[in-house]
Amino acid sequence: MNNPAVFTNVTKDMNDFTFGPINFSLEDGMITAIVGRNGSGKSTLLKMLMNLVKPTDGMIQLFGDDVGSENESWKEHIAYQPQTTVGYDPFTGNQLKQLIAPYYPHWDDEYFSALVKRLNVTLNKRFNKMSQGNQQKLILALTFARNTRLLLLDEPTSFLDIPSKKELMKIITEWMDSGDRSIIITSHQAEDINKLADYIAVMKEGQLAGTYEKDLLSDMYGQYWVKEETSERLAGEIARDGQIIVSNNCEATEQDLHERQLTWEISPLGLEDMITILLDQQEGMDNGNNFNS
Amino acid sequence: MRLPIQLSKQSREPIYHQIETQIKALIASGTLAADTPLPSIRALAKDLEVSAITTRRVYQNLEQDGFTTTVQGKGTFVKAINKDVKKEIEEKAISESFKRSIQIARGYNYTDEDIKQLFKLTLQKEANDNE
Repeated sequence: MNNPAVFTNVTKDMNDFTFGPINFSLEDGMITAIVGRNGSGKSTLLKMLMNLVKPTDGMIQLFGDDVGSENESWKEHIAYQPQTTVGYDPFTGNQLKQLIAPYYPHWDDEYFSALVKRLNVTLNKRFNKMSQGNQQKLILALTFARNTRLLLLDEPTSFLDIPSKKELMKIITEWMDSGDRSIIITSHQAEDINKLADYIAVMKEGQLAGTYEKDLLSDMYGQYWVKEETSERLAGEIARDGQIIVSNNCEATEQDLHERQLTWEISPLGLEDMITILLDQQEGMDNGNNFNS
Repeated sequence: MRLPIQLSKQSREPIYHQIETQIKALIASGTLAADTPLPSIRALAKDLEVSAITTRRVYQNLEQDGFTTTVQGKGTFVKAINKDVKKEIEEKAISESFKRSIQIARGYNYTDEDIKQLFKLTLQKEANDNE
């Protein structure tokens, strides 16, 4: 079983839109970042993997097991860090650990203590008395220590201060070093995606619009600063802002620039720009699969 | 350990190739001596903000070309390289940077003769500055 998680024709009727159909295989040993606008269904996708949201149709498999079936053996292989927790408020970190650890057969207590130390988490304070950042760090320590093969991280850095964010990146990197573990992460932070992601999965209005290898994105798009003013649309042009022209076919654009005898410089696109292009593209234009070739 | 690698996103040279060439140059120049451990595939990916798919490919190529060796469970280490290879890599690193300068000069419509003149002048100036 090479794919830790597989979605087959998964749909879910939501209030305002239909989620899916989603077809998706997670690659083992890799970090996949899910990006999308607010409300595009990223968290729903994670909750479905945990069987917290049940699909209307289709099947979700974790390590070969159907998560909707009676057999719940998949649960020991997956740990989920939600954006918000319910019921943690009256307990201290120590109490939460005692409540959670027994459910996870691979729980690593030594690792938990190390994480608590590295992230500066206090274990004797009630959860509702902790700052949002400290709550997040405690939840992360409680998640990583489950020592599972698959981690689902929903906005893990949203409340962290800069040093803690840096430390978390290191923790995630080390956690992945064994090579046979996988992570699905949702994040709105370009830095998280830049440093951690191998694949980027784009969600738009409950649909998976495409999955891209991160380092190939910069081959897909180019940005050019053109000295002369030109009103004509260039080959490959998908967006323009004054003298800056964005292309999704660099070869064609450069040839066109050359033929029109225009003076130009390459101006690299950042990951944030590329994600914005991916999220803004019209459905008709977005031929996600073409980009994968 | 963080490797001193600079990636150029403007360049048409694939990212994996840029990383590979620079690590080879670091090994050839002795900056990375024999037996030096290299960062893990994942740590290098994080530091350079590339995917682990890219760094894994780099490490595979380095090992295939005899620059590194991987010890199961311990990591990747720099191998001792022989003088011929060292010289070849050095020359390649230098000529690559010449190539970039030449491309810039051609962008300004300099002829080969102009470029040669300017190179000589720069070399002289550099020698004077160092005196």
